[in-house]
Amino acid sequence: MRIDRTHRSWFIGSVVALGVATAIYVPYAMRTPGPSGSSAIGLIYGSVGFGFMIFAGLLGLRKKFPVWRIGRAQTWMRAHLWLGFLSYPLILLHGAFHFGGPLTRVMMWIFTVVFGSGILGAAIQHFMPRMHTTQLPMETIYEQIDHVRDQLATEAGRLVDSACDALDGELSRASVGQLAAAASAGTDWDVTVADGLGFNEPASRQLRDFFLHQTLPYLEQAGARGMALADSMRAHRMFQQLRILLPASLHSTIADIETICEEKRQLDQQRKYHLVLHGWLLVHIPLSYAVLLLGAVHAVMALRY
Amino acid sequence: MQRIRTTKERARRIDLMYFARPHWLRQWRFWLSCAIPLLALGWLFTMHAQGGQRAFSSGPLSRSHAVFTRQCELCHLRQAGYFQSVADKACLSCHDAPPHQASQAFTPACSSCHVEHKGALLLTTTADVVCTPCHADLHSSNANLQIARAIGRFDGDHPEFSASREGVRDIGGIKLNHSLHMQSLLGLNHTRVQLACDDCHRGAGGDRESWPYAGVQSRAGSAAPDAATVRLSHGTAYMAPPRFVENCAGCHLLDFDKRFAQEQVPHDKPEIVHAFLEKRFSEYIAAHPGEIHEAIRFDRQIPERLAVVRVARDAREWVGFRVEETEDLLWRKTCKECHTLLGGTGALPEIAKSNITTRWMPHAEFSHDSHRMMTCESCHTKATSSHETADILLPGIKTCRGCHRAQGPAKEFAEGRCFECHEYHNWKNEQRVKGKYDLRQLRGESGAGMPSR
Repeated sequence: MRIDRTHRSWFIGSVVALGVATAIYVPYAMRTPGPSGSSAIGLIYGSVGFGFMIFAGLLGLRKKFPVWRIGRAQTWMRAHLWLGFLSYPLILLHGAFHFGGPLTRVMMWIFTVVFGSGILGAAIQHFMPRMHTTQLPMETIYEQIDHVRDQLATEAGRLVDSACDALDGELSRASVGQLAAAASAGTDWDVTVADGLGFNEPASRQLRDFFLHQTLPYLEQAGARGMALADSMRAHRMFQQLRILLPASLHSTIADIETICEEKRQLDQQRKYHLVLHGWLLVHIPLSYAVLLLGAVHAVMALRY
Repeated sequence: MQRIRTTKERARRIDLMYFARPHWLRQWRFWLSCAIPLLALGWLFTMHAQGGQRAFSSGPLSRSHAVFTRQCELCHLRQAGYFQSVADKACLSCHDAPPHQASQAFTPACSSCHVEHKGALLLTTTADVVCTPCHADLHSSNANLQIARAIGRFDGDHPEFSASREGVRDIGGIKLNHSLHMQSLLGLNHTRVQLACDDCHRGAGGDRESWPYAGVQSRAGSAAPDAATVRLSHGTAYMAPPRFVENCAGCHLLDFDKRFAQEQVPHDKPEIVHAFLEKRFSEYIAAHPGEIHEAIRFDRQIPERLAVVRVARDAREWVGFRVEETEDLLWRKTCKECHTLLGGTGALPEIAKSNITTRWMPHAEFSHDSHRMMTCESCHTKATSSHETADILLPGIKTCRGCHRAQGPAKEFAEGRCFECHEYHNWKNEQRVKGKYDLRQLRGESGAGMPSR
């Protein structure tokens, strides 16, 4: 979610709330020998802070039931962001900046990680979607990446097959495009398309070799880290070399394969971005549940003693 | 040739059943969301099984109570129902806490000043804010209140020490010129003497070294602690009041007659001095009866006060003459060197009380021992220049503030909070606490139970 002008009222509200909480805390801490969570003011900070934490945790439930008419999803998200942000300083004021005993210490460290991951997540969600749009014009739905990658491999194979068949003299497998190329070359229908393209067995072998040893493994493998075609600069040089080696009539096929490789590269990049964009939730959400659970135990036991 | 993709081809790119396949990130999120809270609960149960309620402690206990960390119920007494709060009676079952003032308007709860679960601190290191709510603007029904009514932080609103305020004079009855005594003096046998502060002033309880200027009879003696003014815990805290036999007799001789070459009158009341003189002269004349009728001429008489030469008729009269002459010299010169002599009711004068102040700050504690690394003059700056007995040589609050600040050791200063000098509880009224627990109860052993409190 982008943090834009629509967050202004939440931002102002949060700053004011934090200011009020601090303004109350400072004289209280100066008047009290040992400000603690068990004092009346400490309990208020604790209750409000824990209330905000619970509310922030309810976002998961709200997402499970998107049809519930309990406020817009965007409003929930903003509330999650800003109330979750406020909950941390309030809990710090509750504990008078002490992490306390074993339970509260563990809880506060977990909460610190949750808070930190939340801030990181908000920053990522603010900046990365724009990077995504500008850098990955060929992006697809994340879940479709493997499916699209298979299709790209198939498409590249089909392109290479048709070009090589033509070069090998197999008219029956020549594509419409190749036939058109042959026609534009001024050949008649009684001569083979291969003649029109220029019969060239070594070129066919070279193209097929390049496809089998470089292109196909790259397209079939997700991520393809360390492979030559995974690096756009190296890939560009390789395709340039291929253009020199192969006849000009095949350059359009080479350009298509190069485009397919570029698309595969963007899909790999999209996978990485997606991991960054959503991976922090692997830390944020499970630890949030843990801190809510421990917080509930702490509330019950602290009130007892 | 540009890749040409028809709409149909594009549509075929989408696998329509993709949502039915679980996404690995979501799966991981789900399982971690189950596992981590369970792990946290497991840790909590393990802690509970190993250390009882310790897991729920709000922080480490103070140094003195740390040994009872697992026995929460020693302090957290079971109240009605579910709650277990800390009550004063839990504290009073081990500690006596005499009230601050007999007429105090209210008694704060122990825990309001001695805050627990704040780490390995001393519980006596209470914050200033527990004192200043009352003492910053003190309202008392006592019209003769001896302390200031507005006292704030030591390095802020704390008033000047009462003894160091402008116009306050020492009411002591012993005449002493500090400046003179700190100069090079003529001592016994025409030797030069340079006194140092600790030749006369030493801690009341701790010093066992002999006094360099003590009288012959007490030269090997020691300064005995004055139980009335010194608490046992402050053995060397306060300076013992100087005593003649230990600090003065070495130079200020009390010899009284050349017939008794080295002998001196006792440093005591006039009655005792008088009895001593009568006894010594009676003994002398009994041993030397031939001197009864000798006319005695005085050497070096003052012209205005020429004594009449008297001849005694018998031994009794001779003793009377000698005692009279000796006492005249003693009362007029020797004793008056330091003491103020009053008229008295009979023939003998009355010596004004010495009134040496032993505690200049009766509402505060001070330890000279803690300051032993400093020279005396660094604080008692007026000691070498004071000529008047009435000068008070106590350093002012400014001197103390040079090192002691309310921020204390955390800011590289000496402790400056209220408790450093003042005690809240009036320990003069301390009473012995009778123990209620046995070792098993204190160690929290199973089945030990708890005594009723």
